[in-house]
Amino acid sequence: MNTGIGQPVRRREDFRFITGSGQYTDDINRPGQGYAVFVRSPHAHATIRKIDVAAATKAPGVLGIFTGKDLAADKIGTLACGWMVLSKDGSPMRAGVHPVLALEKVRYVGDHLAVVIAETMNQAHDAAELVSVDYDVHAAVVDLGSAQQSGKPQIHAEAPNNTVYQWHLGDKAAVDAAFAKAKHVTRIDLVNNRLIPNAMEPRAAIAEYDRGSGGYTVYTTSQNPHLTRLVLSAFMGIAPENKLRVIAPDVGGGFGSKIFIYAEEVVCAWACRKVGRPVKWVAERTESFLADAHGRDHATTAEAAMDGNGKILAVRVKTKANLGAYLSTFASAVPTYLYAPLLSGQYDIPAIYCEVDGVYTNTAPVDAYRGAGRPEAAFVIERLVEVAAREMGIDPAEFRMRNFIRSFPHQTPVIMNYDVGDYPVCMKKALEMADYAGLAARKAKSAKAGRLRGVGFSAYIEACGIAPSRAAGSLGAGVGGWESAEVRVNMAGTVEVLTGSHSHGQGHETTFAQLVSHRLGIPMEQISIVHGDTDKVQMGMGTYGSRSAAVGMSAISVALDRVVTKATKVASRCMEVPEGTVDFQDGVFAARGTNKSMAFGEVALQAYVAHKFDSAEIEPGLKEGAFYDPTNFTFPSGVHIAEVEIDPETGVTTIDRWTAIDDFGTIINPMIVEGQVHGGIAQGIG
Amino acid sequence: MTAVAMTVNGKPVAADVEPRLLLVQFLRENLRLTGTHVGCDTSQCGACVVHLNGRAIKSCTMLAVSCEGAQVTTIEGLASEAQLHPMQEAFREHHALQCGFCTPGMIMAAVDMVYRKGSELDETTIRDELEGNLCRCTGYHNIVKAVAAGARAMGARQTGRAA
Repeated sequence: MNTGIGQPVRRREDFRFITGSGQYTDDINRPGQGYAVFVRSPHAHATIRKIDVAAATKAPGVLGIFTGKDLAADKIGTLACGWMVLSKDGSPMRAGVHPVLALEKVRYVGDHLAVVIAETMNQAHDAAELVSVDYDVHAAVVDLGSAQQSGKPQIHAEAPNNTVYQWHLGDKAAVDAAFAKAKHVTRIDLVNNRLIPNAMEPRAAIAEYDRGSGGYTVYTTSQNPHLTRLVLSAFMGIAPENKLRVIAPDVGGGFGSKIFIYAEEVVCAWACRKVGRPVKWVAERTESFLADAHGRDHATTAEAAMDGNGKILAVRVKTKANLGAYLSTFASAVPTYLYAPLLSGQYDIPAIYCEVDGVYTNTAPVDAYRGAGRPEAAFVIERLVEVAAREMGIDPAEFRMRNFIRSFPHQTPVIMNYDVGDYPVCMKKALEMADYAGLAARKAKSAKAGRLRGVGFSAYIEACGIAPSRAAGSLGAGVGGWESAEVRVNMAGTVEVLTGSHSHGQGHETTFAQLVSHRLGIPMEQISIVHGDTDKVQMGMGTYGSRSAAVGMSAISVALDRVVTKATKVASRCMEVPEGTVDFQDGVFAARGTNKSMAFGEVALQAYVAHKFDSAEIEPGLKEGAFYDPTNFTFPSGVHIAEVEIDPETGVTTIDRWTAIDDFGTIINPMIVEGQVHGGIAQGIG
Repeated sequence: MTAVAMTVNGKPVAADVEPRLLLVQFLRENLRLTGTHVGCDTSQCGACVVHLNGRAIKSCTMLAVSCEGAQVTTIEGLASEAQLHPMQEAFREHHALQCGFCTPGMIMAAVDMVYRKGSELDETTIRDELEGNLCRCTGYHNIVKAVAAGARAMGARQTGRAA
């Protein structure tokens, strides 16, 4: 079977998953490991008067019980948010301190108070129940709408009125002017509800300390092990990076929730040396609900100004974003830089102004979840154009068509520069496939049966692959957006590709190998994809923000270019022909105008044998690396149409048909891409 | 501690265990059969489904000591080394898994479905029957296709106890 780009190659990772041979973090056990159980706050907001561990310490099997004071005594750092967002007035965001284990106050139900480590999981649970905490319980702030009002309980002293930032983007004056001359103004209020990512695999960590080498190894359910290593080392002070190995083995889904650095893995990494044992923690599902970072949670007022023909002149958006009780790793960026720059959607909108208040409440922290900010923007703009169309008596599909961007590149008024797209073609195709023309008849038929029928559109755009590092840095990002790759060709022509991307369901072992197979003309069986281990892969930014194909594979592509360039040199020396006359195609280096050729594997061997060339001119070996920094986001887009029928008697809603037209550019593996779309639709439906 | 003995994947096993030890803990920790997963520990997600005396059960809600004398089959024991079970093949062929965490439980539940309902399964039946198995990656679409195809393949090969 052809395994190149565009083929629905069956996944190479599946064998281990369908036979129960996968290795997730909880499947790993280290000799002598103790089990950690966290004591969590049952209160949303309280001052800690006293944590009494005396009885628990005496419980059978207990190896150690630690509180925030113990971490502070060892100068372990606090959990930080890695993206600085400035308020309108230029002032830095007001982030409250986020201790790994609570020190003075607990700020949400599930907040971490203490850890109990024992010989067995059951003993750790038993002992944790004996930890007694005396609280001074305060009123809690749980309502986003009123959290910023004066007189409300203050969650962090650093953030008056529970306000982290008051951020804005766009040209307010231009928007105000456009509204002043509008023929029609549409205004909507929206709630984008909070949700819990709930990957099937609960988070877990095992940490061990090797006294002989002074090194730590942390196995954890992470989408980005190198970022975890960076934070554990540079911010937490567990160990320097060269003494800290982070392994993210098979990971059972992430959807954003496993990007972040949480208290539990920090505690395991620190405590394993304290108790002199490997320490393992596995979340129960209840803990996933309580303490994994949640998603979305916006309250928005949005307005659109139109001329008499339904052409959008300007959009104005005001959003309150609930960030929870503490700022999670990328919390500040999600409702700002990952949100407002997408508010132009697929539409040619001359002026946009967006204000976002980041708000603390006594709820679990909120951070990136599937799409992270961008779906929130799509929801706002799509609801806005839908309502505007209906108010103006224009068919919603026609309204969208009238406003679509028609020429590229297109600079929106909110940072983004769309490189390419064809929105009308997707809409036309979607309307045809959904039989939009037949909707009226279907609606009438449903009405006869006492049921309601309607359609909803989403003409979305997504910015994929976090943007150029320098640009991201200028907007406050604490890290770059590049990705790394290394292509190691072995002597007999097999290839190992080391990537900083991390697969937790996306199928990189297959798609990345397809790219390499396509480019080098060698079978997939000869290619291994290595990821998820900081001792193997030198550096990486991980998988989130729809970046692994656009950025991670691009890094591999650049490294492959370098491999081919060097191999071409080696081949030319071996065949004794000028370098410029050697072509590489389908795995064969051929000298133009001669009958001389060498297979990729032969050239690899000669690169290491190094007899046929001058080592002063060409270094022996065949191994190349690359750090790829994108020059822009990529902008996939599409149109989805949902047609639903509702029984008003019972409220039962049936999705009668769902039409998805997606423009994803070059598709490596259509089977996998369709699977991603299926999963995205299901999570969107809820 | 309580003595318990059972047969797991055809092999007799025995141990002294805490009475509160769950079957899934026994399988994963005592026997190191880590293909059976714990996704919710509350009997909702189905990642822990194994066969007990030929019927699918959720091993996170079963005490090990209550399985005295039982025949247990886990995902590791479903097929021989040489050949995959038709349901495993169908899951791979139809891209019915992404992260793979729910997959062992899905496959064990699907095989049980064929035991009970036969090898011709329609979409409604499959969706109803998989109510107790959750997946967050695939949207179920390809799982439904895989179960239907796997069921037909089981019927064709007359494996197991397919009707």
